[in-house]
Amino acid sequence: MKIKVTSVYVDDQDKALRFYTEVLGFAKKTDFSQGPYRWLTVASAEEPDGTELQLAPNNNPAAKAYQQAIFQQGQPAAMFFTDDVKGDYERIKARGAEFTLPPTDVTGSTIAMLRDTCGNLIQLTQLARYSR
Amino acid sequence: MTDRQQYKPGPASGAQVRKDGEKWTLILVRELRHSPEKVWQALTDPAHLREWAPFEVDRSLGTVGTTVKLTTVGAPAPHVTETRVTRADAPELLEYTWGDFDMRWMLEALGGGTRLTLWTNIARRFISMGAAGWHICFDVLDHLLSGNPIGRIAGPEAMKFPGWQRLNAEYAKQFGNDMPNWPPQAAQKS
Repeated sequence: MKIKVTSVYVDDQDKALRFYTEVLGFAKKTDFSQGPYRWLTVASAEEPDGTELQLAPNNNPAAKAYQQAIFQQGQPAAMFFTDDVKGDYERIKARGAEFTLPPTDVTGSTIAMLRDTCGNLIQLTQLARYSR
Repeated sequence: MTDRQQYKPGPASGAQVRKDGEKWTLILVRELRHSPEKVWQALTDPAHLREWAPFEVDRSLGTVGTTVKLTTVGAPAPHVTETRVTRADAPELLEYTWGDFDMRWMLEALGGGTRLTLWTNIARRFISMGAAGWHICFDVLDHLLSGNPIGRIAGPEAMKFPGWQRLNAEYAKQFGNDMPNWPPQAAQKS
């Protein structure tokens, strides 16, 4: 067994695809539809065969309630790892994203938090490197 | 070989697309050699729908005002939506929603048979896939009505059939849209 896909709920799949590719810099991986159902995923451009993130529509009451509740509590819906959180912060901010937390040192890592415009907070994490 | 194994879709036909602002509608027409009453039953009755439609229902779609659960067949994650039948004028006109899609079916008597027309939403990039998928569903419906059911061919099942890629490509050519990214290729910049 492998962890190959995880998902975030989004309020609009087209808008989400634009944000996750054009602003965050991921690459579209799979996009197909059956009737009203649309399976849409992105992957890291640095790791095209890595874990996929499904951009799932929040068009059911349970998804909406969950998404709103964790957003209001300031909980990220997803967390992405980077080797350069400050660089990514500058790059993503320059493309118009709104950060709720600039790069901040916490125990074991430096984190930043941004809004994905689709109803979620997204956390960027750079693990701290400790000298031996 | 069984009829199902021998099944091959014919050439693309009977599909049109209408664009209204940002909304795209796929319009599909199929002439069937069966009465509107018989076609109506196949469009509304759960046991009949299970034999050909890309969704299953937990009760009949044939009564206006009823709430019906639709389960999409073959979706890669469970997809169940509730619908309310907004129009059911047997055996002529049937309207309900399927998730965010509006479904409108018209049945016109044509000689001894029926001209069946479906209007449904479609996103631009999925026009050929939607037209090809419904094309196959309607072929299966025709077999069912003729008393020779070959079993539902929807979702991933349809893509396994010989002729799927050709049919998809024919509709893509007709509508000038790209083939959807399926089967999935390596990740690409959108």
